[in-house]
Amino acid sequence: MNKIVFILMCFFLKIHAQPNCKAFLHEGDSLKYRACKLVEKLTGSYYQFSKEYQKGMDEALLICPYFAYAYREKSSAYVKSGDFLNWKKLIDLAVKYEPLDYLSVRASLRYKFFSDYKGAILDIEKLDDMVSYDIGETSNGTYHLNVVKALCYKEIGQKQKAIKILEKQIENESYIGVYDYLHLGVLYLETEMYDNAIIAFEKQEKLNDLAENHYYLALVFKKLGLSKKYIQQLVIAEKFYLDRKKMHDSYNQLIDQIYLEEIKSERSIANNK
Amino acid sequence: MNLFKLRGIIILFILCISCISEQKTIELKEYPRHVDDISFDYLIDNKNFELCNGENNIMQYFNNGKGLEYEGEKISIIREFKKYYNSENVVKESGLLRIRFVVNCKGEADRYRFLSMDLNYNEKKFDKSIIDQILTITKKLKGWKPKVYAGKKIDYYQYLIFKLNNGEIVKILP
Repeated sequence: MNKIVFILMCFFLKIHAQPNCKAFLHEGDSLKYRACKLVEKLTGSYYQFSKEYQKGMDEALLICPYFAYAYREKSSAYVKSGDFLNWKKLIDLAVKYEPLDYLSVRASLRYKFFSDYKGAILDIEKLDDMVSYDIGETSNGTYHLNVVKALCYKEIGQKQKAIKILEKQIENESYIGVYDYLHLGVLYLETEMYDNAIIAFEKQEKLNDLAENHYYLALVFKKLGLSKKYIQQLVIAEKFYLDRKKMHDSYNQLIDQIYLEEIKSERSIANNK
Repeated sequence: MNLFKLRGIIILFILCISCISEQKTIELKEYPRHVDDISFDYLIDNKNFELCNGENNIMQYFNNGKGLEYEGEKISIIREFKKYYNSENVVKESGLLRIRFVVNCKGEADRYRFLSMDLNYNEKKFDKSIIDQILTITKKLKGWKPKVYAGKKIDYYQYLIFKLNNGEIVKILP
């Protein structure tokens, strides 16, 4: 588990790392170098939401209007405040100038913050068409982009397609994401592939045990008519939830994330059986 | 002037036009203290709504790492909208509608503002039949938890985004 978190952290840091300004100088792009040096001073000194940060990024973009990194940095505050209009204008410019770097960011954010599943699928597929290497992870490192693609297909109702993408990704992954088996298990549950669901939840339990894992496993046992196991799993789910061993994101509700009320409601159904 | 020179001038001209248009994509503008700050509007806001820590210290809902904090969690908010929002009586429009507001250190909310778009990120104004219902129900939400940051109760910005499909709420974010 610690190893996975470490790997995810590395990806997170890599993705969010500032550009190497000197590299632009070596490429002979002095405008981008000057803009980059300006941005370097801002990052770490000012909050993304602040007037100083936004104005500083504007100044960098006046020097170099095609410096994609500054558009992406400006857009961060807007996506976090739920301003889909300004966010989209800015991230589109970042994608326009550096599609290989920012298609993945736009995909990661449009599905997560605005439930734009079709848009995210298009971005991921476009990136996939453009590169011969692995398309990599989301901008915060939680998922591989293929897992996001699978989740997006699920959200637009194409669950079989989602399963195929997720199965293939897990089979080929160099590392497994912290929620991958959980999502796969839920997809199996929703498509009535109960044996596969149990296997997936068992794998999730070994990798990163969560309240959600036990809650959905309980629902599988409920479907199979295994009352004792159904109740047992709900009890574990509630305990895990109260111990805060559950899915969490500081910004959004995650796909397949559950709430305490859902566990309690299911327990009350179980008790009345 | 030979053909090559002429072609060179034309290419240079196109590049210049392109540069000018790029320059226009960004311009130095004035910003509030923080992106999307909501200042008090005496025409629409509650005059009795008070900030605990002043205008310059309103934070964002995610700053303490706990996301949306509401009594009974987000599912309670979803339940309120399922209960009170009536999609039968609205214009059948689709898109995203954000309502953003301030929650003070006592868990009271005010300064509600709307932002909306169609499903292609184009600005769009939703019909009054939708907006009025969403505003009314949002104002009735009384379970906002006072957020704590660095041991102190804070005032913060919160938003709810409603994904609408033919007038029906299909998702509430964040």
